[in-house]
Amino acid sequence: MPRSITTDWVRWTVPTAIVMSIAPAAYATRYLTVEEAQRLAFPAATRFVEAHVIFRASDVTAIERLSEQKVRTRGQQVWRAQADGRLLGFFVIDYVIGKHLLIDYSVALEPDGRVKGVEVLEYRESYGSEITSHSWLRQFVGKTGRDQITIDKDIRNISGATLSSQHVTEGVKRILAVYETCLR
Amino acid sequence: MRPAFDSARRARPLLGTFVEISARGAPRADLDAAIDRAFEAVAEVHRLMSAHDSRSDVGRLNLEAATHLVRVHPWTYEVLRAACELHDATAGIFDVALGSPGPRSALQARSDVELVSGHRVRFRHAAVRIDLGGIAKGFAVDRALACLQASGVPRGMVNAGGDLAVFGEDVTVVRIRDPRNPGCELCRIEVRNAALASSGGRFDPFESSEAMDSAIIDPETRGPARRIRGATVRAPSCMIADALTKLVMLTGEAAAALLPQYGASALFVSADGDLRATRDGSAGVHGWLTRGSRRARALPRPAARGRAAGRRSARCPRVGRARGQGRPSRRCRPR
Repeated sequence: MPRSITTDWVRWTVPTAIVMSIAPAAYATRYLTVEEAQRLAFPAATRFVEAHVIFRASDVTAIERLSEQKVRTRGQQVWRAQADGRLLGFFVIDYVIGKHLLIDYSVALEPDGRVKGVEVLEYRESYGSEITSHSWLRQFVGKTGRDQITIDKDIRNISGATLSSQHVTEGVKRILAVYETCLR
Repeated sequence: MRPAFDSARRARPLLGTFVEISARGAPRADLDAAIDRAFEAVAEVHRLMSAHDSRSDVGRLNLEAATHLVRVHPWTYEVLRAACELHDATAGIFDVALGSPGPRSALQARSDVELVSGHRVRFRHAAVRIDLGGIAKGFAVDRALACLQASGVPRGMVNAGGDLAVFGEDVTVVRIRDPRNPGCELCRIEVRNAALASSGGRFDPFESSEAMDSAIIDPETRGPARRIRGATVRAPSCMIADALTKLVMLTGEAAAALLPQYGASALFVSADGDLRATRDGSAGVHGWLTRGSRRARALPRPAARGRAAGRRSARCPRVGRARGQGRPSRRCRPR
């Protein structure tokens, strides 16, 4: 008998109070450590030499003009990828921050400043207002980080995030302006 | 020496979202090489089908296909063919074309997109523009997954902003956000060798914890789809799952007539807060859901009891209780 089993809908009730009490307040996914991302971007590199890029006031003005983005940091974490003293490119760490979100990502640049690759290093979401609190942020910023803060091991899929990904794209634009201003 | 089988999980900003690819069961270097190729396939779909780039296939079609035949990449052709088939199967409810003329009460009997042999395409009216946003992301996921498989990776997952597909022997547990309160979890769904796609209000943790209106346009009202708050579809391919979420968002229960022929199952949350799942769709769904009787439809929502009532709070508190959730809750198992 060609009776379809799926034409039937089963109805579920979602008691509001229970739904509210189960959901986690924060989670994080660590995709790559800085070292892993460096090796992926420049497999041939034998050394990563940290370039301490500190912005002068004129740099900030130039970067903001070139990228049309606000500069919120006093410097940029940048490494020169080298092999036998030869420059293979630049490896840059940056982050974008939203109301409930903090994303660390890396940008690999060719020596001439073309983008070689962008990878997300860590993705954190929070619904307890921690993200905008300074002490909560301080524990991540600038860390190469081995301490996992993942809440549990289930797969949590990143969803939505149209604006968040746009902010990473804008961040990459700012990194290119940092290249033009400070690395070139 | 014991062979080292690793796992790798990476994410890149692509397709206007974050695409996450994970692979397991091979040495790390092989996994990374496979993931690189999979990302490259997604980037290729992005280049071909972006509506914002006038040099993409979609961009060229929108500029030229109203006046003459335009040759496109076989992948673009494949997506358009699936879109046209879905258009016919859903009597025009699924439609990648915008700006079709005529009264909206009568849905387009045939697609505004005409496919010609040799991967050529033309539009039937001058005003037609297409947007593959409702189907291309799922296609990209399928292509990336095929790349992982072709690279010999035994287990993997590709997730493009919530449209995902998994292969291999593992059961993957996916947490579904509550479309009414995206910071909270609605339920968990087990997926194995299948794809899962979700639609709902636009939501981004960058901006706010609230979901905005849906990006899906209701062909009858020409406004955002509002009858259904969120829908999730499980199907053998992510392209089909992606496209069918739009059908469920627009038609609710009526979508059930079409799901079996695509091997798909679904669940959705309607505007009045009810959650419904197709009978096979509720298999592998876990969460704090209670199955209501059909008669309960007219009754008010059950009052919060005991511990749950005491913990009512404006935001979502601790994860503690979610942790022991390895097994399905008795209360959510349909009988």
